[in-house]
Amino acid sequence: MADRVPLAVPDSDDPRLVMLPGDREGLDRLFAATYEELRRLAATVRQGDPGLTLSPTALVNEAWIKLASAPPQMALTRLHFTRIAARAMRQVLVEAARKRNARKRGDGRALVTFDDSLDAPGADADDLLALDAALDDLARLSPRQALMVECRFFGGLDIGETAALLEVSEATIQRDWRAAKAWLAAELTRGR
Amino acid sequence: MSLDPGRWARIQRLFHDALEQPPADRRDFLTAAAAGDRALLDAVERMLAADAGGPSPLDRDLARVAAGVLEVDAAELPLADFGPYRITRLLGEGGMGVVYLARRSDLDSVAAIKILRDAWLSPARRERFAAEQRTLAQLHHPSIAQLHDADTLPDGTPWFVMEYVEGVPLTEYCRTQATSLEGRLELFRAVCEAVQHAHGHAVIHRDLKPSNILVTADGTVKLLDFGIAKHLEEVEGTVDQTRTGLRMMTPAYAAPEQILGDRVGIHSDIYSLGVILYELVTGQPPHDLANRTPVEAMSIVVERDPDKPSAVVRRPAGPGVVRPTGRSRVHTSWGDLDVLCLTAMHKEPARRYQTVEALMRDVDHYLAGEPLEARPDSVRYRMGKFVRRHRGAVAAAGAVVLLLLGTVVFYTVRLTRARNLAVAEAARTQRIQQYLVALFQGGDEAVGPADSLRVVTLVDRGIREANDLDADPAVQAELYLALGTITRQLGNLPRADSLLSRSLEQRRALLGPSHPDVAEALVALGGLRAEQARYDEGERLIREGLAIDRRALPSDHPGVRRGLAALGQVLQDRGAYEDAIAVQEELVAMLAPGDSPERAGSMSQLASSQFYAGHYDTSDSLNTLVLAMSRRLYGDRHPMVAEDLINLGATQLERGDYPAAEAYDRQALELTRAWYGDEHPKTAAGLTLLARALVYQKRNAEADSLLREALTIRERVYGPMHPVVASTINELGNIAVGEDRYDEAIAYFGRMVDIYRAAYGGQHYLIGVALSNMASAYAGKRAYAQAEPLYRQAIAMYQATLPPGHTTTAIAHIKLGRVLLRERRFREAEPETLAGYEVIAPTASPGNGFLRAARIDLAAIYDTLNQPAQAARFRAELADTGK
Repeated sequence: MADRVPLAVPDSDDPRLVMLPGDREGLDRLFAATYEELRRLAATVRQGDPGLTLSPTALVNEAWIKLASAPPQMALTRLHFTRIAARAMRQVLVEAARKRNARKRGDGRALVTFDDSLDAPGADADDLLALDAALDDLARLSPRQALMVECRFFGGLDIGETAALLEVSEATIQRDWRAAKAWLAAELTRGR
Repeated sequence: MSLDPGRWARIQRLFHDALEQPPADRRDFLTAAAAGDRALLDAVERMLAADAGGPSPLDRDLARVAAGVLEVDAAELPLADFGPYRITRLLGEGGMGVVYLARRSDLDSVAAIKILRDAWLSPARRERFAAEQRTLAQLHHPSIAQLHDADTLPDGTPWFVMEYVEGVPLTEYCRTQATSLEGRLELFRAVCEAVQHAHGHAVIHRDLKPSNILVTADGTVKLLDFGIAKHLEEVEGTVDQTRTGLRMMTPAYAAPEQILGDRVGIHSDIYSLGVILYELVTGQPPHDLANRTPVEAMSIVVERDPDKPSAVVRRPAGPGVVRPTGRSRVHTSWGDLDVLCLTAMHKEPARRYQTVEALMRDVDHYLAGEPLEARPDSVRYRMGKFVRRHRGAVAAAGAVVLLLLGTVVFYTVRLTRARNLAVAEAARTQRIQQYLVALFQGGDEAVGPADSLRVVTLVDRGIREANDLDADPAVQAELYLALGTITRQLGNLPRADSLLSRSLEQRRALLGPSHPDVAEALVALGGLRAEQARYDEGERLIREGLAIDRRALPSDHPGVRRGLAALGQVLQDRGAYEDAIAVQEELVAMLAPGDSPERAGSMSQLASSQFYAGHYDTSDSLNTLVLAMSRRLYGDRHPMVAEDLINLGATQLERGDYPAAEAYDRQALELTRAWYGDEHPKTAAGLTLLARALVYQKRNAEADSLLREALTIRERVYGPMHPVVASTINELGNIAVGEDRYDEAIAYFGRMVDIYRAAYGGQHYLIGVALSNMASAYAGKRAYAQAEPLYRQAIAMYQATLPPGHTTTAIAHIKLGRVLLRERRFREAEPETLAGYEVIAPTASPGNGFLRAARIDLAAIYDTLNQPAQAARFRAELADTGK
């Protein structure tokens, strides 16, 4: 299937449910699909074509479409799907960052820089790991806020979608988001 | 002071309140509100600064983060150790893996190495990669790129080496070479042969397309990329669940049922072959999908009928289209080519060629200028014929088994656990996979996959995770069940016990006593009890679970089948063979005919029960069917094949053909070691069996060292009092007897009696075996007074636990007879020896040692009892077999 064709993107209130084949197994497959999408996403950035840069939202939609017609055993709304996909993306990226750092320590080899306009190589990995750790801390203080950050940052949900997913008002999300963002930023600077 | 949820709420309140104040007033406001709490003030001020300051890390574009984190591994050539292979350049990369060209220094040859990128990521990806490797390992055909080698890097990255094919895609080859129509059909035929070979091994390619079919400079066709190939038994009976495969699939060559997610099978490959044929004969694909969206492309494939090739070639060729050239040796009949292509790529699978062979036959007919077999009106006819033929074959196979049923033969001890490995193995894989995903799903904890995916590490982590899941007892119970099952597979029985028991308790509390999930846990725990040699309890638990399943589920539901399989196993374990046979025959009859892991496993279990019950020929004929099925299902090097070989070896051993048994056991051990490694219980089992075949051939030194290796492994895995340990001890004892080290042997057999008595309670024929062996050791040192009562106890045990006329009992009679003979108690010896002789004489092979011993003893007995006619009869029989 050609990669760069416009895809029909389901609306956020699409009543259609995603069916995952067998809950656990389906999630694993989602994990694999997400990984492949992230690779593709990373590749578009590396190619330096701004027109091709995909948003996390588009990415989740890809995964959604890919899994949408699987045999029905587990039904998820798209929002819940996004929540799981966001978790998957966080997982994939954090693990990749860990591997990257481990290798950096391991063989002392210089890592490839793909794009000079990016930060120094490795900075992304460190930032991401720090964010991941701070998010874990936040989860202990307020699981809902941590989930919110995960869905927004890793899943690309907007305020309205996040509010719908967490079943709270948009005002609450806005308030929680601002506090969480400030706290995480402060934590990350302090960690430097 | 550390943060807790209450304090975090307070910090946030202050943060929001401060934000309401004009910036200049915030400091005073906070100082007042914090009331001397310095840390609180600091925390809020840091947040305010971050809020006012530059971009937050959360404003970053995830795409850039991804680009920064996911490396372009492929661009760097890996320096890792790939054995004798050195990587020289990148050949290509896909979502799954990266393929490099490699040079093999010692042989000066080139090969392609495929590496699974980021193997740690997902079991599904690793499984897909491993599946491709298994598939390639199974296929040996000149037109299929051959697997050479496979291994895993220290970091867990799997890789395999395959034949490097230098060639161009099939369609490009035909275009650039301006191949004639006949040339194209010959190439197509070669492709069909390769696909047919794969189908013959139950492998469906699922992604046949010209770019996966290369033609080398000498015109050889090579089929590549079994990356999404599937085993027939995986796809038949279930709809295709590999939806992630969809993306990789090229819709232009995918069958409608693949696109729709319906059942995929041989017929899907035949469809793809049809599209390829269409493209070869017309020079262009049946549908122009170049500028279509995926959704449009899919609907065209599913709904639109392609133009007839004859109509296409009458139109002028578009740019880039090269039609077949040259004069045909036969008159080109476009009508026949239409039928060939359109039958192969019929939208309804049932109306396509039913086998690749049928498609090839029609290609041959076409090339020979003969009428085709496929005609639109004959499709139904051919279908019916195929099904009838298929049914006939199945019925015939069944009849052979039935004819052999009831042929009672020979018997003895075999201690290797029978298995339903196919089922257990599948369950294990699925459990591990489920578990891994459960980890990932496990709430708000940070649950990154472990650095190393070693199962033990994961299980440890999993148990900790599961313990923390108090809030969700259903998930927790499921995890305990999964972990308990894995732990049992890993051989840690006490730990499996506590996990499975907890799972059962929780499910009962949650779902009530008669839910199928409770039944699942009951059956799992019962199976564990049987493995712990607590048979009564195991049987009770399994029967309880099965009763629930039978009430709550349809009669042939997988839950019921699982219960029946477990019940058959526990009955067999406890020695109730005829009962086990009845249960296992019920299970086998329930399964659909044809190859499937479940059917192979169930038939194998049945064969083992038949073996234990002494029905050797029945057991052999079942096992021969199972071996052939295993090879088709799993390939020649799979441990399942080893199990089947072992089972066949066991009957040879019992029949007294020791070299034949040794040959089976050696093959099996080699496969088992290669698969499980040197320190696995399976390897121990293989060692024990081979040693036994050697002992019977008096090759004691070889056997002794194999057995000591096995005993060490088993004592570690099962503990010192397990029946499996006793079986190894038994073999060591037999060797000691063979070497006249009788006191050592008596000690071994004494320990064996203790273990069996502890494991089985008072009644089990294996206790008889241990007693009888101990008696033989005493007899060896001429301590007949000690030997006699032990033989009598053994015979009494056999009579209580085995069917009348059993070979094992007969042999004990012969042995007792000999002891009595040695004590010169001829009148008492005669009935014993004669009883044994009458049972084994009709079935034992003429050279059988016990039969020979019985004849010698009887001749001696009748001599002394002054019955020369009888003595002469047995001498004559001895002389006959001596020839």
